[in-house]
Amino acid sequence: MSSARVNMRPSSKNTLLKVVILGDGRVGKSCLMNRFVSNQFDEHSFHTIGVEFLNKDLNLDDCTYTLQIWDTAGQERFRTLRTPFYRGSDICMLTYAIDDKSTFSNLQMWKNEFLYYADIKENTPFPFIVVGNKSDLSSTEREVSQVEMETWCNENGITSYIETSAKDANNVQEAFRMAVRQWIKLETRADKNEIPFNDTVDLKTKHVEGRTSCCIGSGDE
Amino acid sequence: MLNSFRSQLEVYKINKSNDNKNNNGTPQVVPRIRRRSLPRNNFRGVKKEEMQRQTSMYLAYMTIDELYSEILYEILHNVGCDLSCEIGHTALFSYIQDAFHVSNEYHQTQLNAAEDREAPKILLNVEVMEAKDLAPKDSNGLSDPFVTLYLSSNLSRKYNTSVKECTLSPVWEEHFALPLTENVTDDSLCIEVWDFDPAESVKEKFGKIFDVKGVKGVRKLMKEIAVTAAHGQHENELIGKARVPLKTIPAAGMTMWYTLEKKNKDSRQGILKVRLSYSSKKNTLVAEQEHRHLLRILLLHELEKSKVAPHWWCGSFSQQGEAIITQHIIQSGLTPIESAICQWAIFTKVHRNHALSFVLFSNILDKLIKPLQSNNTISPEDTRLFWESTKNLLPYCFSVIRKIKKKQADKVLVKNVNEVLTIISKLLMLDVPNGFDLFPETLYPWISNREERSDFSIKSILIDAIIVSASGWFDYIVENNNKSDSNEIAKLQFVSQIMNLVRCDVQKAVEFFDKIFQQKVGIAYAKELYVCYQQKFSEVAQEIVENMCKSLKKLNFTGNTLNEESHKEPLAEGMKLFELYLGIKRFVLLGKGICPVDCDSFYINNFYKWFHGGVAQWLEIAVYKAQQRIEKAVELDELIPVDASVKYSSSAVDTLSIYYTVKVFWQQLSWPDVEGCYTFIAKMIDDICRCGVFYAQRMSQRVDGMGEIENVYENRFEVTNEWCLAINNIEYVSQALKPFTTELGMTEVIEKMTDLKSPLEAQRCQQTLNNVIDNAIDTVNNEIIELLETVISKMAPAMKRLLIEGAELFNQDSNSVDRLMMYVDTNLSTLNRELNEENFNRVIFMVWEQLTKILIDIIETNLEKRRPPSFYANLHKTLNLMLGSFKTSDETTCDGLSQTEEILRIYGLETNDLIHQVHLDLYDEYKKLNESPYGILTARAKFQGNNLHIEILNAKILIAMDSNGLCDTFVRVHIMPEEKFRNHEQPKTKTHNKNLVPLFDETFELTLTDEQRFMDNGLLLFSVKDKDLLGYNNKHVGEAFIHFKDIPDTEDPLSSLPQVHLELARPTNLDAITIKALEHRQGEKLAKEFLKKFKQRMGTNQPRISM
Ligand SMILES: Nc1nc2c(ncn2[C@@H]2O[C@H](COP(=O)(O)OP(=O)(O)O)[C@@H](O)[C@H]2O)c(=O)[nH]1
Ligand SMILES: [Mg+2]
Repeated sequence: MSSARVNMRPSSKNTLLKVVILGDGRVGKSCLMNRFVSNQFDEHSFHTIGVEFLNKDLNLDDCTYTLQIWDTAGQERFRTLRTPFYRGSDICMLTYAIDDKSTFSNLQMWKNEFLYYADIKENTPFPFIVVGNKSDLSSTEREVSQVEMETWCNENGITSYIETSAKDANNVQEAFRMAVRQWIKLETRADKNEIPFNDTVDLKTKHVEGRTSCCIGSGDE
Repeated sequence: MLNSFRSQLEVYKINKSNDNKNNNGTPQVVPRIRRRSLPRNNFRGVKKEEMQRQTSMYLAYMTIDELYSEILYEILHNVGCDLSCEIGHTALFSYIQDAFHVSNEYHQTQLNAAEDREAPKILLNVEVMEAKDLAPKDSNGLSDPFVTLYLSSNLSRKYNTSVKECTLSPVWEEHFALPLTENVTDDSLCIEVWDFDPAESVKEKFGKIFDVKGVKGVRKLMKEIAVTAAHGQHENELIGKARVPLKTIPAAGMTMWYTLEKKNKDSRQGILKVRLSYSSKKNTLVAEQEHRHLLRILLLHELEKSKVAPHWWCGSFSQQGEAIITQHIIQSGLTPIESAICQWAIFTKVHRNHALSFVLFSNILDKLIKPLQSNNTISPEDTRLFWESTKNLLPYCFSVIRKIKKKQADKVLVKNVNEVLTIISKLLMLDVPNGFDLFPETLYPWISNREERSDFSIKSILIDAIIVSASGWFDYIVENNNKSDSNEIAKLQFVSQIMNLVRCDVQKAVEFFDKIFQQKVGIAYAKELYVCYQQKFSEVAQEIVENMCKSLKKLNFTGNTLNEESHKEPLAEGMKLFELYLGIKRFVLLGKGICPVDCDSFYINNFYKWFHGGVAQWLEIAVYKAQQRIEKAVELDELIPVDASVKYSSSAVDTLSIYYTVKVFWQQLSWPDVEGCYTFIAKMIDDICRCGVFYAQRMSQRVDGMGEIENVYENRFEVTNEWCLAINNIEYVSQALKPFTTELGMTEVIEKMTDLKSPLEAQRCQQTLNNVIDNAIDTVNNEIIELLETVISKMAPAMKRLLIEGAELFNQDSNSVDRLMMYVDTNLSTLNRELNEENFNRVIFMVWEQLTKILIDIIETNLEKRRPPSFYANLHKTLNLMLGSFKTSDETTCDGLSQTEEILRIYGLETNDLIHQVHLDLYDEYKKLNESPYGILTARAKFQGNNLHIEILNAKILIAMDSNGLCDTFVRVHIMPEEKFRNHEQPKTKTHNKNLVPLFDETFELTLTDEQRFMDNGLLLFSVKDKDLLGYNNKHVGEAFIHFKDIPDTEDPLSSLPQVHLELARPTNLDAITIKALEHRQGEKLAKEFLKKFKQRMGTNQPRISM
């Protein structure tokens, strides 16, 4: 085709998913993102200023999703700078570090902050995923057990949770995949709840067909 | 404060009772005319230090008789030939009579007396200084003493001092000059101290002065007071007296304490200190006081008569007044400086009740500055008087300064300020005498921390006055605008209101007053104000703003609810907040202009931090408003190009300009903090992207339904210009994204970030912004793609219908293929004409993709319908036709399309051809094998002319087919396509039993027709079989192909040709399209049998593990 961009992006649409990563400062949000997007780990990473952003395509069940990942700064002074980015999110990743109990205790705060600023209607299920990072650390340093995390998730109606290590690249891909799966689950459920077709919905369904066929096409490569 | 000034009024009253029968030895407070002839040099009671004391004020009139007579006398003895000669005595007499408010008789009497007067030779100058240990006379244990003086030779002429209230040790320091008669030796000076005791409290009445407005009213009241005092409804009581024989006074004069005695009393009644001296000329102090009184009377008279407005009188008396004053100056021997001091004293005093022009004071000052600066030119008394009077005047000056706050900056005010500052600037040139309290606490309660303050200079007090009045004014406007029960918006309005007032005030200061202050007194007026306001404003505003930002109501809008009504409150809050932000920003800018040096330290400079929480809301509002406008722009778009040279319509242009309103907002905000800037820019880019997507969605809604053609024959979609415009519009908007983002000032922010943080972090931020931009562009382009997909998918039904029609009727008399070609052609050429190359290429790509989809769909749905191969062949032809016509370049086809084309080709083959295709495919497949598990067959073949020679030599490493581990092998040769070689028997070898390495060594020769000999894709299939005992169920060992093209045409004997070793193989793939196609033709015997055999050829036994 005529331009590089077109080659980069196939003529059919990808599904764009906006992901925000929240959690206290220093739990490893930026490291998680960098590990996921460029498979790198920088021991001495900077504090995030306000927000950082990266794009990453993810193939799942023969479909491509473009994740627009917003990494945020956890410090209080950045509060008013990061909250505007919550709106329009499709997925929210709540992170803590397994060696720091307080970061775990703050998950509730993060969840509330997100729900408030993202304008999520009350009682609508939202694809949250809870990520306990730094799982590479020895058990002596661990302050939050898996059980505790599961309990908290159950209490909060969150079904996706995972422990990761950005350092050892353990479960990082899985975490994002899990998040997208969760999104798909809630999305299809929402779709089913929709009242059947008028014109616009018709178009949408066709579009979904298109996506599938495109996937078949690329599957042959 | 003003009241206290007003109460210092001095009032003059001429006693017209003219009654000396009353003179029974009891002096009365109000003196009457006590004798016919007045000596020229009368000394009157003059208080020196306590001139301002309230008690003395209403008693000073007692000396007016003398003054009047003195003036008459001076008129009569006019000196020089100036004005007064021209005016003439009569006019001057009538003027003075008016000014002093006296009756004709009185005037006549005085005039006669003045005419009779002769100039006395000697004067006795008496200063009544003070008294001590006076006997108390009043119930409160105190007295209200005053002193009466007279010569025993002239009982009728008595002189009174002022009354000192409630004291037993009064201090008078008043001067008198008593003319002496001839017999000085026998005469003596009588000094009596009295307790003043009015029947009706004069003081009480005096209190009413405060209610009386204007000069005239005050004078009327004072007449009443005087009458009360004069008509003797009082009982003054003698405290004691002393008699001083004149012969006891030395010529050089003396100061003495005299004991006061009283008849019938042994005890001392107190002592009195008196200074006595003789002089032959008028005492300067007396002359000055006379002059002051004269000035006052004349001035009050003239003010009353001319009704001159406040601040207007500028020093010019009427001709008559001028003449009399001049005479007095001359005849009393006053120097210009002395007379100027008198003017200063009197004008400052009168000013308290009737404001005079400030220019007047400044003019007088001009005369006094030099003398005051040089020591000794002015007597200490006059210097003191000057400063006392200055002390009177200054509060008025300060009050003008303070009025700046209360009044509109009109010309008059500016003029007044200018004049006042002129006065102060002149005063600044003078040194206030040591220990002189120019700013007593009673008058200046507002002066800050007096105790610690060391600087009481006029300038520093002036600065204080500026600050105090500024801060007072600020408190006042806060109080006046604050409504306690107000809601959030009202609070914001309140703060905005304060901000506006304050900013206007500073601007007013800059515009009207700052320059004057700088020039005149060297005070940075606007700056003083600014410093004061910025602090006070911050105190008021910060909390309100911060609370507001914390409690902002959320703006809840998703793409489809732009209804203003539901967002009214958050919108209003946000807008108000932003207005306030801009207001303060302007104020801060103003401050930078006013105080370029120290503005950095101002608290208010960090005002933006108060608003931190509000910015997100503003951005949100900006998006909301942008979307609202975009919606409108799309609505109004008529979908025609904005001009002939471009291919986008109005809403695209509008949307761009809407983006630019966001930029304007950003510029207005000019957020000072870099980290914030960076993040907000990221957010804005994201928001602009949201707007782009929103626009794209609205745009596609706008064109939805266009181009649908419905008639009796068909429903069809035609690509219209509107659709193309919609696509181009989105493209236009998408392309504007990147340039727009640079205009947000990204580069500057990153640079600042480099300085503030580190280059590495700045780089990361830059990277993030780039990512956000790319993502935004991609996201909007996604919308383009979606719209293109919509267009193409709308074309699909028509394409499909025509394709099917064409496939069914291709060879018959049908134009459906033409119609299809036309349909695609029309639409593509519209798209080609209207879209840019990139999008058109996308379209082409999508068309092929769509076509593939349609074809696959057609194939799938028609397989069950047992369409004849021609159905697919027709589709295949049509497709090739289309590819031939529309393909722009090789790259534009998609994988799916060539696959589909192949499928169609295969499905379009007749069954024989299809079977042969299977073999050709197998031939290709087998060629790639290099090690067979089934064995190797050695053979050779050649053509000689039309003869085909085949030799089968042997087979080896054959797979064991039988249970005994051996084979009963024979080989059959199929010449293919089989139906073309039906006339030949298939060559077949003998069977070699129980042998895995059979040596066949058999040769076959076939004579072919020309057509057979030159068959394009002729194949020899060597089929190696394991013979079944009964011959019914031969097993397939393996097979191999030799292609006609690989068979040499030669005269040479076969034996001379190389042996060909054929790896034996079996078909493995039932999924090949060819096989699938055959499976759909099961109804055909040929296909059915072939498939059956084909499956047999695949075999069932496992190939042995290869070595
Ligand atoms: N051991 C360990 N350290 C990690 C891991 N992820 C991040 N860190 C460290 O944690 C610190 C904070 O990481 P960062 O990504 O900047 O945290 P953020 O503030 O949440 O973005 C850095 O020093 C990282 O090296 C991890 O998986 N294991
Ligand atoms: Mg970070």
